[in-house]
Amino acid sequence: MTVKECYDAIGADYDDVFSRLRKDDRIRKFLLKVLDDKSYELLLNSVASRDMAEAFRAAHTLKGVCQNLSLTRLYKSSSRLSDVLRDRQEYGEDIAEALEPVKEDYTQMIEYIGKLAEE
Amino acid sequence: MSGKEYKNSKKILIVDDSEINRSLLSDMLSNEYEILEAENGMEAAAVMHSQEHEIALMLLDIVMPVMDGFETLVMMNENDWIKSIPVIMISAETVPSYIDRAYDLGVLDYISRPFDERTVRRRVISTIMLSAKQKELEHMVADQILKKEKDNKLMVEILSNIVEFRNGESGLHVVHIRALTELLLRSLMGKTDQYKITPRDIPLICNAAALHDIGKITIPSKILNKPGRLTDEEFAVMKTHAAEGARMLQNIALSEEEPLVKVAYQICRWHHERYDGRGYPDGLKGEDIPIAAQVVAMADVYDALTSDRVYKKAFSHKKTMEMIQNGECGAFNPLLLECLTDISDMLEKGLDTARPSKNTQEEMIDMVEDLMGQGTMDASERTLRLLEHERTRYQFFSELSQEIQFEYTAVPEMLILSEWGAKYLRMPETILNPRGDAFGKRVFTENDFTSLLEQLEHTTPDSPVVESNYLLDINGQERWSKVIARSMWMDGEPPVYSGAIGKIVDIHEDMEKLNRLEVMADHDSLTGLYNHRAAKARIMPLLSGKREGDQNYILVLFDLDHFKQANDQYGHQFGDEVLKYVANTVKNGIRGADIAARTGGDEFLIFMEYKTVIEPQVKRIFELLCGSYGEFTISVSMGVANAKDCRGDYEGLFQRADQALYAAKRGGRGRYCFYNDIAESE
Repeated sequence: MTVKECYDAIGADYDDVFSRLRKDDRIRKFLLKVLDDKSYELLLNSVASRDMAEAFRAAHTLKGVCQNLSLTRLYKSSSRLSDVLRDRQEYGEDIAEALEPVKEDYTQMIEYIGKLAEE
Repeated sequence: MSGKEYKNSKKILIVDDSEINRSLLSDMLSNEYEILEAENGMEAAAVMHSQEHEIALMLLDIVMPVMDGFETLVMMNENDWIKSIPVIMISAETVPSYIDRAYDLGVLDYISRPFDERTVRRRVISTIMLSAKQKELEHMVADQILKKEKDNKLMVEILSNIVEFRNGESGLHVVHIRALTELLLRSLMGKTDQYKITPRDIPLICNAAALHDIGKITIPSKILNKPGRLTDEEFAVMKTHAAEGARMLQNIALSEEEPLVKVAYQICRWHHERYDGRGYPDGLKGEDIPIAAQVVAMADVYDALTSDRVYKKAFSHKKTMEMIQNGECGAFNPLLLECLTDISDMLEKGLDTARPSKNTQEEMIDMVEDLMGQGTMDASERTLRLLEHERTRYQFFSELSQEIQFEYTAVPEMLILSEWGAKYLRMPETILNPRGDAFGKRVFTENDFTSLLEQLEHTTPDSPVVESNYLLDINGQERWSKVIARSMWMDGEPPVYSGAIGKIVDIHEDMEKLNRLEVMADHDSLTGLYNHRAAKARIMPLLSGKREGDQNYILVLFDLDHFKQANDQYGHQFGDEVLKYVANTVKNGIRGADIAARTGGDEFLIFMEYKTVIEPQVKRIFELLCGSYGEFTISVSMGVANAKDCRGDYEGLFQRADQALYAAKRGGRGRYCFYNDIAESE
């Protein structure tokens, strides 16, 4: 699987990322780094422990990473989630609702990136 | 410049909580720059602390844990780092209010996500160049001011050379006047503040001094260069050069307010005034003559006397000094005469070599910095803030420590106490002339205080610490205190002692404990008399201290007869009471300077001085001791030896007294024996 094929599979925009980072190797390198990124884990833990400020920061970081790597699908869902979390003091059902697609997108994305890493 | 050096000189600090984002940026920039990374504002602060001046640029994220981007910017403003480190904001945040706030806090640019390699590099380069450009411009302005000052000096020199050329003088006169004026001014500054001359005024006055004779341009050259003595009429014309020179300066349009013109006016007009009021053109007297004119007048006279002129030969330095000091060539401010004496050695070596030590280039740079104003003001404000911070810290710790801390300045003599110390001593924080104040006369004894200051003065910069214990009067109470102080030195060759800093710690409790232990160690616990060791330690110096023949001392040894019986018959407690009673009798029966000790068991020692005869005082003690305690009759056997015969040898003396005591016992107890008597009889 090429990097582009991986991008296509997870609803990400390879052309966009290539126009900015300009090297396929570099894109692969940073895409693989996503496997080590702790912000998704932090996001789930913070929501579970009802630490809304930390949850917002984690969603925000995740969103930033996705934006930089043009991981469009996850960017959109994490972006919506961070808007819901912004300035929140308390947990609510809308957070669970917004978190669901993030989980879905992230799991799918990681599955493909994992495949790319194995090659 | 090699690539590596280039890289070393430019560091970029990336502050972002996401490792991926940091390395993404690092990847784009690490070819040209050295990358420093921080996960949040707090980490960034630590990096800036140690490498403020090496960081060419900061890339700052906003949403971060611990310390976010806005807090970081506020902190950078507080520490003034925002002025030396340009900041570009990098955030996924695009809310306008966020961006506005970042700009308000001093951010120079904003890079939105997603990061585009070309954009990032372009923005980074232009922001670094922009701030470098600004610094460069500041330097250019400085250079231009410097150049302007140089040109000024050159113009003044050309102008005054024209005048001299017309005078038929060598052109050296201007050089000499400059040098003399500078030397005199520096000497004067060292003596008094009354004229409010600052180092910055010196080049100005020297420049103006070069113009002192421009008025001579109006004097006909046949008068100016007349070899013989001038007639009264000619002299009257000659004298007009002072007022003429001043008039020329006054007529310079729009520049009357220039400091150079103002000072030059004073010098031109009044450099022929005399301190006694008999000069020209205005007959000003004493301090009515501006100090710049006074100084140049003296410089002018000195140089005129030591140089060849059409009407005279040069005088020697020595002769010139005599003539000026004796008032043969004008009347001067006594303080300036002192200054002239002070610089005499330098003048004697020759004015051309006696160029003042400090490089005028350096002063020019100082002046430029002064003129640059804003930039350097910021630096000094920052320094002041740091000082203030340091002062607060010092104050806080000094208050916690509950010590009297002080700062001593040698000239003028002054003592500054810490706030706590002043309160504790009930004294003002600043004490002028501490030697004459209660501090140096009551708190310390005069002797102690003088000795402390002397010790400090005799330290060296390499070994500046002094530590001594003094018995101080603290609000009427005598307290043992330890003074630890460190002398302070000013740069110089050799370094100049400027004073000291130190603290006074109360060690009374410790000293008392020590004293008590000493007392305990020296005294017999039962009777309170000295023990033998302590008595010996006090007797020995007395024996060796006096010249032979002057040692009018006797040693008396005695023990109680049949003391064993007292113990056996009435018990040990009773025996102890007898010993105490005897000891008290001894204590009350001897004089203050005498020494008494219990040497062991029921054996006692008395060491005493005598005048001419020995027996009466021995007899008196003996009779005092004979008596009774309760049912027990006290009788003593006593042996006496004279120190005179022992040449300062304590052991010998003791042995002789012991032999005499033995003789007394052998003779039937209840008596006293003199060693000399038994020695004769044996």
